[in-house]
Amino acid sequence: MTFTLLVPLLLLAAAALVLIGSNRSRQARARMAAYLVGAACLGAVATLYQVTTEGPISFRFYDLSSIGSFAIPIGFHVDRLSAVMMTLITAVSVIIYNYSIGYMYQDLHARRYLAMICLTDFVLVCMVSSSNLMMLFLFWQVLSYLLYVLAHNHAHAGTLAGAFKTFTLLRLADTAFLAGIALAYQLYGTVEFQELFVRAAETPISLPLGFGMEVSGATAVTFLFFIGAMGKSAQFPIHLWLPGSLFAPTPVHALLHAGIINAGGFLINRLAPLFALSSTTLHVAFVIGTLTAILGATTMLAQNDIKKTLGFSTIGQMGYMIMECGLGAFSLAVFHLIAHGLFKATVFLNCGNVIHKARQEPHFPHVDHQTDEEGMSRLTWITGSVTTLLTPLFILLLTHGVLRIPLLESQGTVIFLFFIWITSSQAILTLTRLRQVASWKVSAAMLMTLLFVVFVYLFAVESFTAFLYPDPEKVASYFKAAALPDWLFDLIILAATILMVASWSYLYLTAHGRTLRMPAWIDALRIRLYLPFMNRLYGDELHQLLGDTIMRWVHQFDKRERGWSR
Amino acid sequence: MMDAALLSWLLVGTPLLGALVNLFFWSNADHLKLSSILWSAISFGSLIGFAGYLAMPPEGLLPLYLLPLTAVVSLLAQPARDDYRQSCTMTLVLLGLGLSVLTSQPVVGSLALAVLLFILAILLYRHHSALWPMSWWGIGTYGLGAFCALLTVGAGPPVSSMASLVACAVLLPLMPFHDGHLTALTRLPGSLPAFIVVLLPIAGLHGLPSVLQTVPDTVVWTVTFFALLGALYGAIKALAQSRVRLLLAYGSLSFFSMLWWFVAATRTATPRAALMVGTVGLATSGLLIAWQVVRTRYGDDIDPQAVSGLASGMPQYAVLLSLLALAAMGLPPFGVFAGFMGLLLSSPFPSTLGLFITLLAWLTSSWYIMQMVQRLLFGTQRQDLRYTDLLMTELASLVMAVLVLLALGLAPTTLFGTDHTRSQTSVKESLTWNR
Repeated sequence: MTFTLLVPLLLLAAAALVLIGSNRSRQARARMAAYLVGAACLGAVATLYQVTTEGPISFRFYDLSSIGSFAIPIGFHVDRLSAVMMTLITAVSVIIYNYSIGYMYQDLHARRYLAMICLTDFVLVCMVSSSNLMMLFLFWQVLSYLLYVLAHNHAHAGTLAGAFKTFTLLRLADTAFLAGIALAYQLYGTVEFQELFVRAAETPISLPLGFGMEVSGATAVTFLFFIGAMGKSAQFPIHLWLPGSLFAPTPVHALLHAGIINAGGFLINRLAPLFALSSTTLHVAFVIGTLTAILGATTMLAQNDIKKTLGFSTIGQMGYMIMECGLGAFSLAVFHLIAHGLFKATVFLNCGNVIHKARQEPHFPHVDHQTDEEGMSRLTWITGSVTTLLTPLFILLLTHGVLRIPLLESQGTVIFLFFIWITSSQAILTLTRLRQVASWKVSAAMLMTLLFVVFVYLFAVESFTAFLYPDPEKVASYFKAAALPDWLFDLIILAATILMVASWSYLYLTAHGRTLRMPAWIDALRIRLYLPFMNRLYGDELHQLLGDTIMRWVHQFDKRERGWSR
Repeated sequence: MMDAALLSWLLVGTPLLGALVNLFFWSNADHLKLSSILWSAISFGSLIGFAGYLAMPPEGLLPLYLLPLTAVVSLLAQPARDDYRQSCTMTLVLLGLGLSVLTSQPVVGSLALAVLLFILAILLYRHHSALWPMSWWGIGTYGLGAFCALLTVGAGPPVSSMASLVACAVLLPLMPFHDGHLTALTRLPGSLPAFIVVLLPIAGLHGLPSVLQTVPDTVVWTVTFFALLGALYGAIKALAQSRVRLLLAYGSLSFFSMLWWFVAATRTATPRAALMVGTVGLATSGLLIAWQVVRTRYGDDIDPQAVSGLASGMPQYAVLLSLLALAAMGLPPFGVFAGFMGLLLSSPFPSTLGLFITLLAWLTSSWYIMQMVQRLLFGTQRQDLRYTDLLMTELASLVMAVLVLLALGLAPTTLFGTDHTRSQTSVKESLTWNR
């Protein structure tokens, strides 16, 4: 309990230390605060150890029977999920905070900025360790505001507009979250997580939608929660705030992309037992996640700005994560969330160096040369394609034979394996972009990477799933709830497989100078699609148009009504 | 044991006596302001001391505490100028009448209410300018309110019930009786708008439980309809405003209309409802005071965008305005959020559409309040303007408002009264109905 309470308190103390005091000792205080952030990280690790060995830690500063009299009942429930998130947040915070001390050294508002970073970490830690929906919502809302504060610059019009958009769009999603809490309380009479899960499972409720249609209480509640999660995790079409906030200082992005944006995935995981009661919401999550992943990744390819490219990459990854949740692979989503968080924080913290280097060196970043492509040996390609295409079969057989997993009966297993394949293929495809490398090295690197990815996925995902959700029946029930109709599931797998194989073939053939006989309309479509994706599907313009139209109606109404009342 | 009637007279008499004492300091604005603050503080102290001897109203004791506290907050920020002497004294008079409405017997309370509304109508008649011309709609509404308050004493049911309902709708603004609220917040001088935005709605809420239990269902449904309409109307009108006082008036109308919707659903006023009314009023009061700070420096009715960049020039002001804005738009951990959530969780929803409209109005506040704050605080600092941060009294006033809003957001509602309506039964009934 001591460690657990210390974690947020140390972060709060760090914020206070940076903020309060004379300007002369500013730097010394900022460096001292770094130790507090580090101590918070150690506390989180200790909490993780304690939770793993002794079980969840719970303590409430209110009596459960009088919870209704508190608008914000403060209590902590740290289970394995919370402890993992706390460790991730504090670890990323240590890196970001230390980076920020140097990065913001000469900035006039460095003190406010560093305090805000610590405060945001405090809010994040409290959010992931909340014992009830109200406390989670409290910190969820505060996070929306802190994002607004962190993402804006007083004197820059573009930044202000972006920050305002961030705040208002997040509030839109937050309102749905609030409606979900109100509905959950009305239906089940509690906002305490464990109690809510039990009551929701025991009390099937139908809500009339009108016109003779009904929806289950769990579906209505989880759907509203899902909209809340969509906001923070930048899911289509509420993703517009993320590219709009890209004017913020680089370390803020690292924190945003490694910590804050994971809030949606965390929320779904925290409420997994509730989401498991509604197949409809999980299917909606799958569709939204897939759409976001496709749009995010495609838009990323057409961007010409490093921060926007990374921003859309995050949107795509978040779509991928929500898609995993929609398939019932909740633990996989958390695993993905951690990996992506660490990776993206590193990339963002490094992108300033890349920009700096690009400004100084005219030949950086290096442009693709056809000669390099031709230098790639046949061996490299064969190694890559064969391992990528044959490995899934090998793993399938291995898993079927050694682990005795009923492949045909469990969509969950297929999902795990499919994600292994997709990820390893992605890794191999990325490696083929390496230039000026001898072919045997590339082949070896490909194989090593593949082995590593496979090993990590098979071992780590399975272990991580067992760690987060020790009850295998529960995991199975999540997959069951998210199960798609067989024909649809097969179709998706088939389509994705064809797409992956086709991509490989296309890459191989174009790299060897072969001409592909594509219908003219495909080439024309590719060119035509490039422009909208480069312009981010005109989402910002549509958002602006919608805002302008609403304001025009509002002003027209105001003008007409003025005669009657003032 | 102390007699409740005597105690009520004592509580009412304190600020009224203060108003009389103020006449001795009429020639010295500084002393008059100090005297007004002192008498309001004494009133607050006496309330804390004697509140335990008063009969507990359904909405709890929070409204009683909030009245003198708001008086102190609004008086503190007021500049000590000769033209504000009247508003200082009238704040004490209105405080006395307000306490009478809340603590006296119904007949005396109704009479005090009639006097209070009559005084406001006269003040509105006297105070207008080229920027804010005379509004007969506002004066008429308060006149109607005063008449209805008298009617509740003289007439029998059902006329008295309907008259009482109309009086409540004038006090706690409900469409179409909201013009008084808009006019008072925009026309009254000095500390008065910041005080009456708490006083009148609290007085209105106090009268509601007895009225809503006697009026027929049709009337309650009508109230529900106008409440939802008012919530939406207030939000839309606030979105269109560029004048800060009107924006705040419409914004508060939207929030008070939400409260009407909740209260109509339960037909009673709970401590949660009082929390909502009190904190919406106090947050609006704080924002009005913050706007008064700008007005005293840069002139009345200045365009917020014309004084952009206050965040750099007036950092203390910027922080406090931001916090007040957060409170006003219903963000945690402030009292408005606590009140709103309390009502959202404890009241059964009469309709999903109603809930949707209420949440939409709640959401819209993020736009208009944040836009106002952004216009004022951010943007490029003007070189031709002199930026002076908060004076000590202004700082104290705004800090008090923020701290009270924060405390009310975190304190349990049981601290100010027992919620008799809230129990598990309402939840269970709702469950049964839904199954």
